[in-house]
Amino acid sequence: MSHGVDLEGRKPSLTPQVGGVLGTLVDWQAKINSYVLFVSMLALLAACLVLTLSVVMRYFLKWPTDWQDEVSVFLLIGAVFMCGAFVQSERGHIGISALEGFFSPAANRLRLLFCDIASLAFCIFFTYKTWSMLHEAVVEGQTTSSTWGPPLWIPYGLMAAGMTLLCIQMLLQILIALKTKGEAN
Amino acid sequence: AADPVTLKISHQFPGGTIDAGDFRDRLCRRFAAEIEKRSGGALKGTVYAGSSLMKTNAQFSALRKGALDMSLVPLNYAGGEVPETNIGLMPGMVTSYEQAAKWKNAEVGKALSEVLANKGVIIVSWIWQAGGVASRTTPVVDPSDAKGLKIRGGSKEMDMVLKAAGAAVLDMPSNEIYAAMQTGALDAAMTSSTSLISFRLEEVAKHLTTGRGKTYWFMLEPLMISKSVFDQLPKSQQDLIMTVGAEMEKFAMEQAKADDQAVATVYQKAGGKAYDLSDASVKKWQAIARETAWKNYGEKSESCARILTLAEKLL
Amino acid sequence: MSVGIIGVLYGLGTLIFMFSGMPIAFALGSIAVLFMFIFMPGSSLDTVTLNVYEEMANITLLSVPLFILKGAAIGKSRAGADLYLAIHAWMHKIPGGLGIANVFASALFAAMSGSSPATCSAIGSAGIPEMRARGYSPRFAAGIIAAGGTLGILLPPSIVMILFSVAAEQSLGRLFLAGIGPGILMVILFSGYAAFRYKKEYKEALDTYNQGGKKSAYLDAMRLTLYDKFRLLPRVVPFVTLLVGVMVALYGGFATPSETAGLGGILALCLIAVIYRMWRPSQLKPILSSTLKESTMLMFIIGMSLLYSYVMSYLHISQSAAESIVALSLSKWALLSVILLMVVVLGFFLPPVSIILMTAPIILPPLKAAGFDLIWFGVVMTIVMEMGLIHPPVGLNIFVIKNIAPDIPLKDIIWGVVPFVALMMFAVLLICIFPSIATGFPDAVYGLSTK
Ligand code: NA
Ligand code: NA
Repeated sequence: MSHGVDLEGRKPSLTPQVGGVLGTLVDWQAKINSYVLFVSMLALLAACLVLTLSVVMRYFLKWPTDWQDEVSVFLLIGAVFMCGAFVQSERGHIGISALEGFFSPAANRLRLLFCDIASLAFCIFFTYKTWSMLHEAVVEGQTTSSTWGPPLWIPYGLMAAGMTLLCIQMLLQILIALKTKGEAN
Repeated sequence: AADPVTLKISHQFPGGTIDAGDFRDRLCRRFAAEIEKRSGGALKGTVYAGSSLMKTNAQFSALRKGALDMSLVPLNYAGGEVPETNIGLMPGMVTSYEQAAKWKNAEVGKALSEVLANKGVIIVSWIWQAGGVASRTTPVVDPSDAKGLKIRGGSKEMDMVLKAAGAAVLDMPSNEIYAAMQTGALDAAMTSSTSLISFRLEEVAKHLTTGRGKTYWFMLEPLMISKSVFDQLPKSQQDLIMTVGAEMEKFAMEQAKADDQAVATVYQKAGGKAYDLSDASVKKWQAIARETAWKNYGEKSESCARILTLAEKLL
Repeated sequence: MSVGIIGVLYGLGTLIFMFSGMPIAFALGSIAVLFMFIFMPGSSLDTVTLNVYEEMANITLLSVPLFILKGAAIGKSRAGADLYLAIHAWMHKIPGGLGIANVFASALFAAMSGSSPATCSAIGSAGIPEMRARGYSPRFAAGIIAAGGTLGILLPPSIVMILFSVAAEQSLGRLFLAGIGPGILMVILFSGYAAFRYKKEYKEALDTYNQGGKKSAYLDAMRLTLYDKFRLLPRVVPFVTLLVGVMVALYGGFATPSETAGLGGILALCLIAVIYRMWRPSQLKPILSSTLKESTMLMFIIGMSLLYSYVMSYLHISQSAAESIVALSLSKWALLSVILLMVVVLGFFLPPVSIILMTAPIILPPLKAAGFDLIWFGVVMTIVMEMGLIHPPVGLNIFVIKNIAPDIPLKDIIWGVVPFVALMMFAVLLICIFPSIATGFPDAVYGLSTK
């Protein structure tokens, strides 16, 4: 299955092929991840450009530069949270695997399943709280307290969307593990 | 008797002891010691200095939700959540400690307290502090001096005034000021006298415009308590908190004035120069502020307009 | 329940969650939320995401992805390989020349980045494959990069020192300068070890080959004429241009530190576009996606560890530990030892930024009263916290390497860094015996400290 981007020297995706409805969902998620990754790449470049422009505008043109830092923060916060699911799909959120050798393969499967479920539980809580933070910011019309004062729903919204995608990604991985009895891991 | 209640008091300033260090930290520690003594240990305070509990910007929200008990923080930091609070650092709105001291019991103080109470926050101690400008190459005394300089105003309203004066205003975290000024990426920065001392800008900035005597830069940084926490306390403890809070205001004014002097000495010792503002200079800044920051504030909402009118009564 | 018991439970719980194999970020977040739920008022749970956002929404912290991009542009293009080829051509006669080159490259990158994981990532993405291709054992290669990366916060600019100077009310200029001497000391120590270790591995490789075993890449001698050496020299141009460009922007007063991070990223991308004709989207995608992958992994861990330290701070755990140490009223050096030991223990779980914020206000006054120069202590504390970056369970540099070279087992990385941790301890000892290693340089520039 394609993630839309070929990573140099990387092993093929850790997600096994599954058929049926689950397979379709997995494909969709992979597609969404690859689009999100692409947009995040643009955001990363944009953040660099904005900061570079800031130097040019202030040093050479003597213009005030009071919004560039915040734009970059929003772009980078957005990129980081939105890519959470993509990184999870590649099992890129690093953990300590030091105890792997002490367990039988069956016990390891259970351990990994436990880890995934515990991670999902945390992320669901976090995602829920992010949505309520977003809700509050929208209702109250909260902005940052800087001179530029952009609305806070922008970064909060990106956080909420990214965390939601991450939860879905984790849920799919757990379902796959249950369905394939963890053969893939 | 019931278990003692411990109030967590958070602030962003450098931590010290009750006798030495940043006066805003000492004020919190004195407050904690005093309420403990007078309540016979039923009420205590733990001070978290230097944003060691939570980030500066998270404090106000946490107070509102009751996740934080107390905080000493510049009021205008809450400007994104409660626009009325921007009055706390309105250039030219307060020009002396004597005028500042009138706010608490004047109509404007009552109006501001009302707004905050609706948002779940109560002011315990009204702390005002003057500030100044540290500048690298040329002193910034009159608005005309700011033209073409790269300045960090540090607040929304101050930035508006500076822009109108022709400065290239920039936004940067306060922990980068030193490095930026050292390299020349930044020409001047404005902040309170006490923070000017702790940022050690005298090593890289040779000119200081002080807040001694008169200035257009006054900041309200009150000690506040979460309303939901306050409401759960018995009446006697509520009264104790407000009484001790009011007593701290005198200490704050003495210390703030002392720091206005001290910062000048620091710069002179480091081989720099200190400049005081004349009445005429303050008036010039005030005139620009009236057309920019004040106007902008008054147009935000009816509530802001009302507070602006009330504040102008004290001019 | 006493703070001490809660503290022990928090530590144990963290270990269990982490060693279960859960991703570090979610393990830290889970244990933090669990303790919040049990020991803190219910309203705290409402501020979880706000705390994470406010901690992360800071351009100083978010410059980490930009530093990583700058490193990836070099490391994942031919610029990195060319740089190493040129360095190797000139240094291959020196035992461990390539390893030493990596230590120097780390130090140079550290001088344009304020963060250790970013330094580690920038140098490691080209350095590790290069060293392994030349026969270095994975363990050795990983150790050099992890340790070299720690220089990011010791050599100026440094995010950690900025925070320390504010907390300790010390001059940042002095503190930055004080990091340079120890930084050079560590470069020397690391280089010396690299040479020693190289000789050992080379001899082993030779013995294996002589006994009819496999021929290691160590034994592929490089025979280059002086002409060849000079011909290869222009290949360092991209890296040097980047270094000089960033330095001029930062120290010439054109850009603020965080702007420099963005500028460096653009400059690096422009250089590889012009020199290596790498400008097509298909060529840039691997650079950008690996940057995002690594940054996301790191920023999730950093964000959650700030949440983790918020709970620790609220429950007064580290503060109580620091307070009880102070209450022991120990002698001067005993006090220092115990405090550093505490920093080491906290380093098991927390990144340097959190350690400083929580402990500095409590430990600094007694240290000052005991007669220690706080600038000197800032440097010593930074080195001790650097050790925390390369030892488990939470060692950001280790995770970066795990990400760059996923096939090196964590166990090997950890064994690889052990000698370097020992060298850092040795450096701390040297700086205690000869304080002027740290204070000499700032004293020479600013005049003797008046404290
Ligand atoms: Na550095
Ligand atoms: Na560690």
